[in-house]
Amino acid sequence: MVGAPGGATRPAGGGGVGRARRGGGGRVLWGAPGGGRPADPAAAVWRALGEVLDPELPVSVADLGLVYGVRVDGDRVHVRLTFTATACPCMDFIEEDVRDRLLAEPWIAGVEIEQVWDPPWTSARITPAGRRALRGAGVSA
Amino acid sequence: MSAGTFSPEVREALQRLILSLADTKRMLGIRYSDWLLGAPSIESGIATASMSQDEWGHARLLYAMLKDFGVDPVEIEHSRPPGAYCSAACLDEPFADWAAVVAGIVVVDGTLSLALEGFASGAYDAARRRIPKMLAEEAFHRDFGHAWIRRISAGTDEGRERLAAAVEPMLADAITCLLPDDEEAGLLAGAGLTAPARAARTRLARRLAEPLSGLGTAPATDPPLPADWISSRRRPAGEPAGDAVERARGDRNRALFVE
Repeated sequence: MVGAPGGATRPAGGGGVGRARRGGGGRVLWGAPGGGRPADPAAAVWRALGEVLDPELPVSVADLGLVYGVRVDGDRVHVRLTFTATACPCMDFIEEDVRDRLLAEPWIAGVEIEQVWDPPWTSARITPAGRRALRGAGVSA
Repeated sequence: MSAGTFSPEVREALQRLILSLADTKRMLGIRYSDWLLGAPSIESGIATASMSQDEWGHARLLYAMLKDFGVDPVEIEHSRPPGAYCSAACLDEPFADWAAVVAGIVVVDGTLSLALEGFASGAYDAARRRIPKMLAEEAFHRDFGHAWIRRISAGTDEGRERLAAAVEPMLADAITCLLPDDEEAGLLAGAGLTAPARAARTRLARRLAEPLSGLGTAPATDPPLPADWISSRRRPAGEPAGDAVERARGDRNRALFVE
């Protein structure tokens, strides 16, 4: 498992926040997939997750602190994902977006998403970049 | 510890405990949603929508634990007849008025949270991992319910009487169903899975003393098991109303089912 939010192995900045701030929205803001297998597959996964926006807020799931870990086994990716609430109405959409964004990378053949609730998500898990993005949208965090 | 590490007898009791908690959460969510419109204020009605959403999510996480026991949670959530539900009996019918909604928040939701606290402190790993998030979400329910109790307590005699009338039977039923003091509860506490019933009931009495103090009544917090107690369902005889179960199962939306 690589990098809990804020961990040393996680790419700084969360990747897609700048895009989110500029445009809002979701899939239309995804970057172009990379080519072959990257030198640091886990970092590439984190970057891709930085482009997957929360459906209700212009901030990525990575910067919201919803991604608790990423593991890459060959061409398969395992993502440990939590949600802001146990009955988050967007769970299905978020999982679908995570899966589709990662599968857009030609080197990824399979994505497994594990829902986790420990430790419970709180707003303390939002990254500094995520807080800036939320403030830009008029949301205090 | 996982479910497989317990004796068959304990495992069976644990499965029944989870189903009782999950079904009560689900029916409580339904009963909150009944009052989305018609509360004394629009804002209070909208609050029941949020609480309903939380209860639904908590129920789903609890049902998912049943996978550890080889049970298909989808089948459990969407296919059981009303007579198989293990929810607290006080939720079988809609709350009669807003006083009953407030009683439901403080008494039923409060007792559920206390039962969950004991479960989360026990030896079952899945409960230890999942329940803290539920309890964090429940903090708002508690604050909202207690604020309403204070408001009603400081109001008219009629309001206090209606609230007290709602609290007494609901509290007896919630304690009986959610903190039962029977042989099976002893088995679970003995296995380190829950708090002993007596200790949990004492804690509940202490916790409810202040919010209920303004009602001029001291409800009994140590009710005996009723004569029609069904241990396999952890509740007295009866079942939730059919329309509530149809909504809980999503009967009219099977063609749109996505799970």
